[in-house]
Amino acid sequence: MTSKEWKSQGLMIPIFDKKIFTIDAGDSKDCLVILHGYATSSFDYYKVLPELSKHYRVIIHDLIGFGLSDKLENQYFTIMDQVEYTLELWKIMGLEKVTILAHDYGDAIAKEIISRKNAGFINLDIKKLILFNVTVPINFNEFVDIQNILTNDVSKKMSAMMASIAIFKKNIKEMFFDKTKITDEELTEMWYLFECNNGRDTINFISNYISERKIFWFKWNKALEESKLKIHLIWGKQDPLATENIAESLSEVLTNNKVCWIENSGHFPMLETPKEWTDCIIIE
Amino acid sequence: MKREDWKNKGKLINVFNRNLFVIDTLVSSNAIDNNKETLVILHGYPTSSYDYYKVLPALSKQYRVIIHDHLGFGFSDKPLDYSYSLIEQADFALQLYKQLGIKKVTLLAHDYGTSIATEILARHNKQQINLQIDKLILSNGSAHIELSKLRIIQKLLKNKITGKLVASLTYYSIFKKNMRNIYFDKNKVNNEELKEMWTLLEYNNGRKVIHQLTNYINERYYFWHRWIGALKETQIPTKIIWAKNDPIAVPKIAKLLHEEIPNNKLIWIENCGHFLMLEQPEKWVEKVLNE
Repeated sequence: MTSKEWKSQGLMIPIFDKKIFTIDAGDSKDCLVILHGYATSSFDYYKVLPELSKHYRVIIHDLIGFGLSDKLENQYFTIMDQVEYTLELWKIMGLEKVTILAHDYGDAIAKEIISRKNAGFINLDIKKLILFNVTVPINFNEFVDIQNILTNDVSKKMSAMMASIAIFKKNIKEMFFDKTKITDEELTEMWYLFECNNGRDTINFISNYISERKIFWFKWNKALEESKLKIHLIWGKQDPLATENIAESLSEVLTNNKVCWIENSGHFPMLETPKEWTDCIIIE
Repeated sequence: MKREDWKNKGKLINVFNRNLFVIDTLVSSNAIDNNKETLVILHGYPTSSYDYYKVLPALSKQYRVIIHDHLGFGFSDKPLDYSYSLIEQADFALQLYKQLGIKKVTLLAHDYGTSIATEILARHNKQQINLQIDKLILSNGSAHIELSKLRIIQKLLKNKITGKLVASLTYYSIFKKNMRNIYFDKNKVNNEELKEMWTLLEYNNGRKVIHQLTNYINERYYFWHRWIGALKETQIPTKIIWAKNDPIAVPKIAKLLHEEIPNNKLIWIENCGHFLMLEQPEKWVEKVLNE
């Protein structure tokens, strides 16, 4: 699949002052909304969309600043802003009850939505939350360690990664357990989607993103802990970034959860082991 | 006024399982108050609703006035396991107004409170909240953090390495010196008042959270586009009432806000420092109520 073909499957939807690229597939009454991860886009789901959309109406949008959605010049688009644009998009699409599925960066958006839901600020009905390979553990000490690594190491690595296509490809590849499961063509498309419309500006704000997570650490974990929602964890076991300990500690703390492990899979299980990943979602 | 007398004027209200200290002039008054419009006040850092003790009588003649101590300040709870972001302070304020059944307000904010106000505005602009805001009044707050002249103590407290240590060493004499320095007329400083303010800061182990509270200065950088953007976008009639001799929230900030906010009026208060409502209470009230 090329990014051009992907583009033709979606729509640009105006939300407030921005345009958001949105995939809306399937005609089930059961809605699955997907929040993608950092630096990538809705394109991560091209392999799983055909099967998922047989069971759900699937809505995936490119977060602002990523993929084919509007990008910003010299400005960080906060999680709070992402949340408001996301909620407005879902409202305009007439979604009233959803299952939220979040990967990586998307988990922060999901948690803020849950926090607002717990507070009674929004009317959206949430059926279930599915988190997979998210990078924030629930234990504060582990969190501080990871943040230090993130700030000192990953953010440098990410900065470098986004500075050139070669390093971008290499780093995304490293997130896979089986490096042959991602092709050079796919990586080229991912790079294009990241880089188009001056998307590289995002690099300047990685530290903001990490700081924002730090600021809201208590708020967001409390939101998960206090939520009465069914929480479903899906985890590629060999993720070097979102390690399996994170899933284990999340599972220990959260009530009403279950974990679906995926063997021999890394940070992008929907690309590396699409069948197994889709099964985890469909079989419940 | 003694802090205990102030405390008797308000009550603790449970919001999201924490106690907030709230002054609500409707409670103590008669039915005529039911027809009054509501004025909600977001106080500054590192003080509390007590800043308004001199102006409350005059304000409450015209308005039903609601002032709460933000979480971590004054008589409100000061939990240790809490992020104290301005965004959460906005959550608490909005939830409190909802619990009190308030749907329509004039929103007044000072200092730290102005950032909570801009977060409320950001959500208001994006139709995320039901609160109707008729008027916005902003006094001496450093929304344009890049222009503000932070005190050394603020810089030390917001720093993640020095913050905790400095907080544990901060004592009354430092507080007093810093407060005196942001008055224009040092004769207006009342030592008993400062002592009450300090005690309110210390109340409920407040010193243990002060470095966390000070992190708001960093948030003003992270959320700069969101909050300044909200001010540029809003159509709500706005009054900027600014003390001209504030060494922190300098006049330059007011001038810039005056250029940026679509529908606003800028009103100066001469010979006045950061705490307008304490240093020039009559003048400040007059500007709030009449102009």
